[in-house]
Amino acid sequence: MKRRTLLIAAAGGLVAAIGAGAGVLSQVPVIPKRPGPSAQGALGWIAHRDGRFALTLPRAEMGQNIATALKQIACTELGAAWDAVDLRMHETTMPRVKATVGSESVQLFAAPLALACAALRDALAAGRVTGAVTVTERPLAELRALRPGGLIGGSPEIVHGREIVTGAPLYAGDVRRPGMLFGRVLRAPASTELPSRPLRWNEAAARAVPGFAALVEDCGPPVGKARGLGIVAHRPGALDAIAAALQVEWEIEGSHPRSDIARAIDVDASLAEGALPHAVLDGAPEAGAWDVDLRIDIPLAAHGSIEPRTAVAEWSEGALAVWTGTQDAFYIRDVLADAFGLEAGAVTVQSCRIGGSFGGRTLCMVEAEAAALARAARAPVKVVWTRAQELALGFHRPPSSHRIRARLEDGRISDWDHTQISSHILFTAAAMPRWMQAATDLVAGDPGVARGMAAPYVLGRARAAYDAIRLPVHTGPWRGLGAGPNGLAVESAIDEAAIAAGVDPLSFRLAHIGDPRLAAVVARAGEISSWGDPPKPAQGMRTGRGLACGIYKAASYAAAVADVAVDARGHVRLTRLWCVHDCGLVINPDQVRAQCEGNLVWSLGMVLLDSLPIEQGRVSAGTFADAPIPRLSEVPPLSVELIESRHPPSGAGETAIVAGPGAIANALRAATGRRPMRFPVRAEEFRA
Amino acid sequence: MNLVLNGESREIPSDWTDEPLLHLLREHFGLTGPKFGCGVGLCGACTVIIDGVATRACITRAADVEGLTVRTIEGLAEGGALHRVQQAWLDLAVPQCGYCQAGQIMAAVALLDSVPDPAADDIAAAMDGNLCRCGTSARIRAAILRAAEGVR
Repeated sequence: MKRRTLLIAAAGGLVAAIGAGAGVLSQVPVIPKRPGPSAQGALGWIAHRDGRFALTLPRAEMGQNIATALKQIACTELGAAWDAVDLRMHETTMPRVKATVGSESVQLFAAPLALACAALRDALAAGRVTGAVTVTERPLAELRALRPGGLIGGSPEIVHGREIVTGAPLYAGDVRRPGMLFGRVLRAPASTELPSRPLRWNEAAARAVPGFAALVEDCGPPVGKARGLGIVAHRPGALDAIAAALQVEWEIEGSHPRSDIARAIDVDASLAEGALPHAVLDGAPEAGAWDVDLRIDIPLAAHGSIEPRTAVAEWSEGALAVWTGTQDAFYIRDVLADAFGLEAGAVTVQSCRIGGSFGGRTLCMVEAEAAALARAARAPVKVVWTRAQELALGFHRPPSSHRIRARLEDGRISDWDHTQISSHILFTAAAMPRWMQAATDLVAGDPGVARGMAAPYVLGRARAAYDAIRLPVHTGPWRGLGAGPNGLAVESAIDEAAIAAGVDPLSFRLAHIGDPRLAAVVARAGEISSWGDPPKPAQGMRTGRGLACGIYKAASYAAAVADVAVDARGHVRLTRLWCVHDCGLVINPDQVRAQCEGNLVWSLGMVLLDSLPIEQGRVSAGTFADAPIPRLSEVPPLSVELIESRHPPSGAGETAIVAGPGAIANALRAATGRRPMRFPVRAEEFRA
Repeated sequence: MNLVLNGESREIPSDWTDEPLLHLLREHFGLTGPKFGCGVGLCGACTVIIDGVATRACITRAADVEGLTVRTIEGLAEGGALHRVQQAWLDLAVPQCGYCQAGQIMAAVALLDSVPDPAADDIAAAMDGNLCRCGTSARIRAAILRAAEGVR
């Protein structure tokens, strides 16, 4: 597609006006390609020259500190000193690697990297210093990096740690290019699922603002259906003044049929119309009265990363270079090549350390804005989303409503029925066109919503089914996908069943668990928290202790215990959290503990804070005041214990979130006698 | 118009005087330690120390620091030796994503400069405005106590 570009040098700045007809997207979307890592491919990540090694990190680094863990593996297998291996972030000039999603980086990448490093080590030992190395088959048991000892199971100083504590550049926003300008794309204050575009604006007033550089009408693909108006300035602070001076009038088409989101996802209203279409457990519970019958509601929630989405783009002789913090630099490259009519090789995306991701950096948005503005302004452009843009234009954890029922027979659960209405996590409107959404809705449901819906217990006649409804707000992956909300619902119902059966919740769980690794973390959590001996209530406070557990992606195990104190007005305070975690062989125990700690703080957030206000089908929050995240004084002492395991390594980034929220909710139930069912909990429901 | 930035007198160019101090530091002086997180002083990622006080650079006008002393995280280490707060952060591996940590460290340095032996309430009061989404708060508390021990 040929686009007409007209650049006019004008007083007060450069004005770029782009011809109409731009931005028509191809009908076949760019779908993320997700090849699994291979040992031969892993040779591309490690190189040797003059006695030193260079490890190109084949993952996004977003705080899971995977750079440290993979460097531990490389050093161990190479037999190289820590300081002899230089770690570099990848760019898309290397062969494609799978997106950094789903807590897979150690699970999938440890063995290929170790095999490649072993091959390189052997080649060097044989006296070779140049040329390509071939990986030979060898049993994984021969690899030094996949058994404890030395750096494996150690905790060296984290990669990038020194840069972080000295403020050295690491993140996309730290990139500075000669002649760089600063841009923003303004969009309508409306649901991104409604077609919208700029209609009229005061260009003269914008150009009069000191620092104005350019006004850009073709600012790349829409976000959802929202087309934008781009502004470029010589200094970042001028962007607010230019945006205000423009006084853009927006054309917004129609209204969304499901702008009342709470009503759209009301599980009981859906059940009244019939069974839900997508089954996770296909047992057939018998008809009759239920001993447990809960309605659990969990709202829309933001990722809340402190770094807003940020990209720097620079064009040079028809080629595009982009710096960004993304979970999939190759997908970003493919989308940019498609959007700007380039060969993939003409686009280079440099993966920068991400200032918090949590599933939120999986789509191409700010990168395309920066590329479009840089093309129009004929200068490198940095785009940093405002916090309001993060909340309004990003995608979020979908809201969900759950009806969850259990029947007891001789003190055991004989029948179980969990139904859920939510919105999409993987097959989203932000990621695929309408025709493809219709196909997935019909046949596939959404595996992200289903994640964690299969309760990890022996439950007799057990059924679980869900539906995912298209909403006017964009939803998508959020730490743990469905596993956090589903774990909260399941663990609330299990707890309520234990209470109905008159059995201690820990014993009740053990009696229903078939998987020995899950039973082990539950039993150990009981031991380290002195489960049967909770602390004495403080003066004027109601106190309670709760337990929960779960399995993440059929591979990693966690159990959590929470202590809460509730004052007379119903304010809830966490006083202690414990977690026992089993993710198989642990490469870096301190960083696995750090991930558990993060999940526990997210668990606190899920129960007490996480909610993104919506009005008329669009996010109305603009700051952290409207969408708060946990503060230091709210975080209690955290105790984490890791199980020493001979199982292969599995994921740690999202595991404890299956257990933490349930433990906190169950502690609140124990303290007050009231079952929390609407999250985040409201003080007025827990007054003395 | 001048400020004292990490011990050196520097000029604030006339076209940057109306910018937030954060942009002046990052984009004019190239100091990437202070970060943009929210732009309205609610997250603390941009925290710097102005005349001894932890201050949000995103809501401080550049012209308003004329003649004042501004300290950023780049100015903490002396002669290649990390400040004890930086060292405590490394020793306890506080950072996960790391984006908020320059602001956290500057808030902690300002706290310890005024309260060398902080109680839990002092730490909460000084640090509650510095948000961390990764969930490093428990380690931040421990690192502040470790750094305080170093001077006792």
